[in-house]
Amino acid sequence: MAEIILKNVRKIYDNSYTAVHDFSLKIRDREFVILVGPSGCGKSTTLRMIAGLEEISSGELYIGNTLVNDLPPKDRDIAMVFQNYALYPHMNVYKNMAFALEMRKMPKDEIRRKIMETAKSLDIINLLDRKPKALSGGQRQRVALGRAMVRNPSVFLLDEPLSNLDAKLRTQMRSEIKELHRKLATTFVYVTHDQTEAMTMGDRIVVMKDGYIHQADTPQELYNNPVNTFVAGFIGSPQMNFINCRIIGTPEKIRAEIDGILFDIPKETVERNNLTRAVGENVILGIRPENTFLTDDKKNSIFATIEICELMGDCSYIHMKTGKDSIICKYPHLFAGEKGDIVKVNFDMKKALFFNKDSGFRI
Amino acid sequence: MRKMSTQRKISTISVYVFLSVLALIWVLPILWVIITSFREESGSFTPYFLPQGYTIRNYINLLTDNTTFDFTRWFSNTLFVSVATCIISTFFVLSVSYAMSRLRFRMRKPLMNIALILGMFPGFMSMIAVYYVLKAFGIEQSLFALILVYSAGAGLGFYVAKGFFDTVPRALDEAAMLDGASRGRIFWKITLPMSKPIIIYTLLTSFTAPWVDYIFASVIMGDNYENYTVALGLFKMLEKEFIHNYYTQFAAGAVIVSIPIAILFISTQKFYVGGVTGGSVKG
Repeated sequence: MAEIILKNVRKIYDNSYTAVHDFSLKIRDREFVILVGPSGCGKSTTLRMIAGLEEISSGELYIGNTLVNDLPPKDRDIAMVFQNYALYPHMNVYKNMAFALEMRKMPKDEIRRKIMETAKSLDIINLLDRKPKALSGGQRQRVALGRAMVRNPSVFLLDEPLSNLDAKLRTQMRSEIKELHRKLATTFVYVTHDQTEAMTMGDRIVVMKDGYIHQADTPQELYNNPVNTFVAGFIGSPQMNFINCRIIGTPEKIRAEIDGILFDIPKETVERNNLTRAVGENVILGIRPENTFLTDDKKNSIFATIEICELMGDCSYIHMKTGKDSIICKYPHLFAGEKGDIVKVNFDMKKALFFNKDSGFRI
Repeated sequence: MRKMSTQRKISTISVYVFLSVLALIWVLPILWVIITSFREESGSFTPYFLPQGYTIRNYINLLTDNTTFDFTRWFSNTLFVSVATCIISTFFVLSVSYAMSRLRFRMRKPLMNIALILGMFPGFMSMIAVYYVLKAFGIEQSLFALILVYSAGAGLGFYVAKGFFDTVPRALDEAAMLDGASRGRIFWKITLPMSKPIIIYTLLTSFTAPWVDYIFASVIMGDNYENYTVALGLFKMLEKEFIHNYYTQFAAGAVIVSIPIAILFISTQKFYVGGVTGGSVKG
C-alpha cells in the first residue's frame, strides 16, 4: 500500500535519445493506473523506471513517501509481472513462487503457507509441481501473477501481461486482474497498448505519446472529453471521425460548414467547446462513429461514398469517404451496402468535439 | 504407402553410399590403431592389415614396465593437468562470457574486438615468449606452468558461451533482481542451471586440450621426463632407437588416452541437450 509520485522524471539514453520527457504524475494509494500509448511512447520505460530496472536520468520518484531514485529494485517493495512471464524454466511452479521469499530468508513453513494461500486463490494448486514448460499460456500468466502476489508488495507493476494470450483468455484475465486489484487493495500500475484493456480496467488512464503525457484521466472523461486529436483517436474503437469544417455564424447562432452543408450546433456544444472563439476559423470536428448516422433527411446531411462495410454481427461499421475525410459510422443493424454506394450522413452535434486544426488541441 | 520413385531411390542410395565411404575413411585409422595395440609381433610397419597374433601384453607392459617409459606417471600428470585446467578455464570462460553478455561497460566492445583479433593468431606464436616468462618466474618444466599456460588464455574463448548466454532472456535476470537476488545469485541460481549444455561444452573442450597438445608441452617441459604428458611421452616412443620395440605399445597408449575423455563425455552427455529454457518466456 503506497502512493507513487513521479516529479519531472526524464529518461535519456546514452545515445542521447529521450524516451520519457518530464513525466509528472501522482498515483494514489490503491489506485489502478494504466499507462497506454502506441509502441515507443515511453510507457514501458516509465514502468521500468518505477521498478528500478532503468535508471532515472533526472527528476524524482517517490514510492510511499520515500525517495527511491537510488534504491535497488529489491528494496522498493514492488512486484512486477512481465509481458513474457519470465518464469524460471528450471524450477517448478512452487519454486518459482518461493524464490523471492527464500531470498528474503523467510522460514520454510511460512513460505509454504503463503504459497498455498496464493495458489488457492489463483486456482493453480494442481500446477505447483509442474515446470513452466508444461503450462499453457494462461496458466503461465497465472503463475507469474502468483509469483508477484506471494510477496505482498505495496505496488504491482504489470507490463503488457495479457498481450501473449488469445482473445478469449485475455477477456477473462482482464476481469480476473481487476478482481485481484479489488481483493488485494494495492496500487497497480499497468502498461498496455490496447485501449480496450485500458478502458475496462483502469481507475485512471495515462495516455502517452513520444515520451509525453497527453492526458491522464478517468476512462469516461478520456472518452467524452479528450484534450486533443491524439487522445480522441486513440481511445475508442473504431476510432473517432475527424472532419474538416468551418465555424460560421454569429455568437448567438453558430453553425458548422461541412462540404458546403451547414449544420446547426446546439448551445451546450458551443459552450463546451468555446466555439464563440473560433468563428470564421477552419477547425476539426471530432465525432464518434456511434454518433454518426445514415439518414434520408436531405437538408441536414452530407453525401458520402461507401468504401467498405464490416459486419460485426450485432452492428456494422460502415467506412465512408466524404470530400477529403474518411469517416466511420457504427450502424446498429446489419447493413447491406456495396462499395461505391452513395449515402447521406448526419451527426449528433450534441456529442461533437472541436479541435484546433494546427495544434490538434481542443478549442 | 506410395512407392518411392526411381529417381528418389537412386539419389537416396547414392547419398548412403557416399556417406558410408566417408565413414569408412574416418573409422579406418581408429580401427587400425586399436588392432595394432593388440598386435603380437613388434615392429612399426607390417605389409598386412590384420595381425598374425593377438595379445594384451602391449597394455600390460605399457602400464607395468616403467624402466624406459614411465607411462603411468605421464598419464597421471596429464590427468592432473587436465582436471585442473578444465576447472580453472571453465570458470574463466563462464565469467568472461557472462560479463560480456550481461554487463554494459565502456570497454565492452573494444575488449570483444581485441579478443576476436587475438584469437586469429595461432597460440604457439607466443610460445618462446611464454617460455622465457615462465623461466623468469622460475617455474618452467613444472606441471603448474602447464596448467597456467592452458587455462590463462581460456577467457579469450568466450564467444560461444557468450552467444549462449545471450539467448537466456534478460527478463529472467530482471525478475530475479526484483525478487531480491544479487548479481552473483542470479548467475548461480538462475543462469547457470539453465546453461548446462554450454558448461559441459566448455568442460569437455578444456579437458581435452592437455591430452592432445604437443607443442606447448614440449617447449615447457624440455627434457624433464618426470613431468611429461602422454602426448610427449608417446611421441618419444617413436624415436628411431625405440620405434621397433615400442610401436605396438604406442598404439596401446593412444587407445588408453581416449578412455578418460570418453568417460567424461558419456557421463555428461545427458546434460548435453538444448532447449532447457523452454517455457520460461512467451506462450
